[in-house]
Amino acid sequence: MPVPGKIIHVSGFLTVGILLLVILLSVQGFISFKRRSKNKNKAETPDWSIPTLDAYADSTSFFHNWDPAAKIGSLFPYCFLIISLKSPFWCAIALIVSIFSIFFSNIAWQRGLRRLAAMSGFLLMFLLIVPFSSPARQGETVLIFPLLQSLPFHLSGFLLALTIVLKAFAIALMIEPMLGTSSLPLTLQGFSRLGLPQAIIQMILLTHRYIFVFQQEIIRMYLSMRVRGFTARTDLATMRTMGNFLGMLFISSFDRTQKVYEAMLCRGYHGIYPTFALPQTRIRDLAKSGLWILLGILLLVLDRVVPVLPL
Amino acid sequence: MHQINSRYREDAEQDGHESLFALDRLSFTYPDGKEALREISLSIRRGDHIALVGKNGSGKSTLVRHLNGLLPLQSGSLHYQGKTLDPTLLADMRLNIGILFQDPDNHLFCNTLYEDVAFGPMNKGLAREEVDQLVKRCLADVGLSHLIYKPAHHLSYGQKKRAAFAAILAMQPEVLILDEPTANLDPKQELIFKELLRAFQGTLIIIDHDLLFLYDLCDRAVVLADGHIHHDYSFQELVSQQNALREHGLDFTFRFTCCGNDHSHPQTSSHQHHHHHTHEHGGRDSHTLIADEKTPILELQHFNYCYPDKTTGIIDANLIVKRGETIALVGENGAGKSTLAACLLGLHHGEGFFLFHGEQLNQDMRRNLWKQVGMVFQNSADQLFCPSCWEEVAFGPQQMGLSKKEVEMRVAEALNNVRLSGYEKRVPLNMSGGERKRLAIAAALSMQPEVLILDEPTASLDPQSQELLLGILNNLNMTRILITHDMFFIRELSNRTLVMHQGRIIRDYPTSTFLADDHLQDINGLDYTYKSHCLDQIMDLQYHNGRKHTPV
Repeated sequence: MPVPGKIIHVSGFLTVGILLLVILLSVQGFISFKRRSKNKNKAETPDWSIPTLDAYADSTSFFHNWDPAAKIGSLFPYCFLIISLKSPFWCAIALIVSIFSIFFSNIAWQRGLRRLAAMSGFLLMFLLIVPFSSPARQGETVLIFPLLQSLPFHLSGFLLALTIVLKAFAIALMIEPMLGTSSLPLTLQGFSRLGLPQAIIQMILLTHRYIFVFQQEIIRMYLSMRVRGFTARTDLATMRTMGNFLGMLFISSFDRTQKVYEAMLCRGYHGIYPTFALPQTRIRDLAKSGLWILLGILLLVLDRVVPVLPL
Repeated sequence: MHQINSRYREDAEQDGHESLFALDRLSFTYPDGKEALREISLSIRRGDHIALVGKNGSGKSTLVRHLNGLLPLQSGSLHYQGKTLDPTLLADMRLNIGILFQDPDNHLFCNTLYEDVAFGPMNKGLAREEVDQLVKRCLADVGLSHLIYKPAHHLSYGQKKRAAFAAILAMQPEVLILDEPTANLDPKQELIFKELLRAFQGTLIIIDHDLLFLYDLCDRAVVLADGHIHHDYSFQELVSQQNALREHGLDFTFRFTCCGNDHSHPQTSSHQHHHHHTHEHGGRDSHTLIADEKTPILELQHFNYCYPDKTTGIIDANLIVKRGETIALVGENGAGKSTLAACLLGLHHGEGFFLFHGEQLNQDMRRNLWKQVGMVFQNSADQLFCPSCWEEVAFGPQQMGLSKKEVEMRVAEALNNVRLSGYEKRVPLNMSGGERKRLAIAAALSMQPEVLILDEPTASLDPQSQELLLGILNNLNMTRILITHDMFFIRELSNRTLVMHQGRIIRDYPTSTFLADDHLQDINGLDYTYKSHCLDQIMDLQYHNGRKHTPV
């Protein structure tokens, strides 16, 4: 059985302090959330609109002026290199690189934060559960909290969870400069030049366009239910109504696909989306790509050669 | 069945002109057994401007879908430029025929307007520079140059319709087929369409119920009924024969009105805001009822609404809705009419005072507002989601928690009011546009609301359905708010008109004053009177035709 290298008994005072800090932060978060909800209720209904991926595609920056194929072709492998990192320190450096990338790509911070917020619930659970549940390792540091003697806090488990969280955040933030700095059609052209089949590209393009149309249809139909007093409950009547609602949506979606296809045929569509000659990759695009791949390799080498806080 | 006046076909044969389209005994039956076209024989010559008219469900859309090869030939023949349709000809033909369907969202399938408009020309194999010029010119023609790189979901309905039209025009088609091009558009956008169509040199086929719109665009009228061609003659002949119009549900003479011609009303109020206040405000958070005033059902005071994306929806709206009133809400597309309706329904939470029966609306009252304020949406297809008419109409009363007996009684009464008795088991999806609209009204009526809001009730309805709807709405004994561009309905039904422009209520005056207000066009560009001269000419034609056929 592995023997821990160091056992630290956390004092009751420190435990209470940590608990109080957590409670205070939670209360603060809850109050600010309630305050924001209250202000929102006064003036506006919640914004359920689907955020567009390429909302900042019109700007100019290091990433905007990069050929999409070269950009995706280098940032995508870079993300895999980040996944290969083992040390939380170098993962934190990768996160800092991602933060700088967002900064230099002229994309609003809120977009990145919203992306992180969407993942944070799941990842915070990692930080909470993994340290208490990871297997014991030979020579590791273990913290024992009062009243939790049978459930030791493994520092290696905590570092593992932290590494996962940092990697996830670094990659999630990198998505914005990678996919949000060119218009969707250009980005998909980039994917096409990297070998993604045209059929999939067309499906993504059509899906992206009609998500918004179907969203409008859903909103209109749901509003018509609401103005006739519908409130979702956990009963049979609600299930029947929702069944009708979804059935009608399915029929209208089916009908819509047929009509869109006919409209495409009417404008000369014969199975292939027309495109003009695709943009060429320039030397400077390749240089940017090389630079980025080198950065990824450098991080990986440093991670292996200089492992700060290894697991 | 009538003897078809086939002057056009005979002329074509005599002129030796080759028909662009030659249809012979064309029939089509849908998989559900519905016979949509029966023995259609028709010749369309190059340069013809045809109005394809008839009741909802008479086979117009099915016919034009044949002209572009979207539906297969079942029986009969169809020749294009004298040749039988084969896959090669079909591909060429489609590049020369532009079809604009009713719903613009079906045409805008790319991620920017530029790509949407460029799609057709690129499929034609045009050079990049040529496509670029075409796209820019066509978008400029429809007034959308500033939105060239925007995706379609950022556009209003009217803008989408114009963008779809630009996408068709960019193909430089020889034949242009339009299905209800102006449904749900305000007069300003209708005029843009009309000007572009006037300038079009090729063959034009328009399906529309608005004969006033078609009047100076089309020289030939093909009238369909039950899948047959009942008439094929000049457009002037069609509009001058009131009996034929009535027989085919096209008689729009019930709406003969002289909007804008009646200047007898005093215009003292045309530049005034009539914001009736029944309350006085001590401050932003308090209000006191003026004792003598009769309490209105709904009241907005200094009401503002912003969309979640911070776009302004309603700005400082002041409005009272009294019991028994019928109010018309007019304004250009995007003026905020539907947003205001959503606020009155309690769907949008705005800032300011919203009083219901004199009481500031609280959360609980807002939750129950649906019992008092009913709504019929613009596109009734969106409102209907149940598998049968009975369930559709019963949905509201059931949500109100009424007894089974009461629900049954209300459903029967509502269906009877909209002349849909006997339709209880019918599937709403399979009903015509006019029937669905009436069903949507019945669904709202069954809740017996105090106020009924109707959003564009006449859009896409044939004149016969419109006349029926007018009768139904006239008999409703409740407060009504009509959101419409239809001047006839405004005149016939409303006694007060609110004009909205850019989110503000800029006029609130009697309908008679609105009808005589010549200054509106200067403010919001809406010319509600541009059809008057067509109307006068049609009335003259009918008068002379009537005299010609009156025995001395």
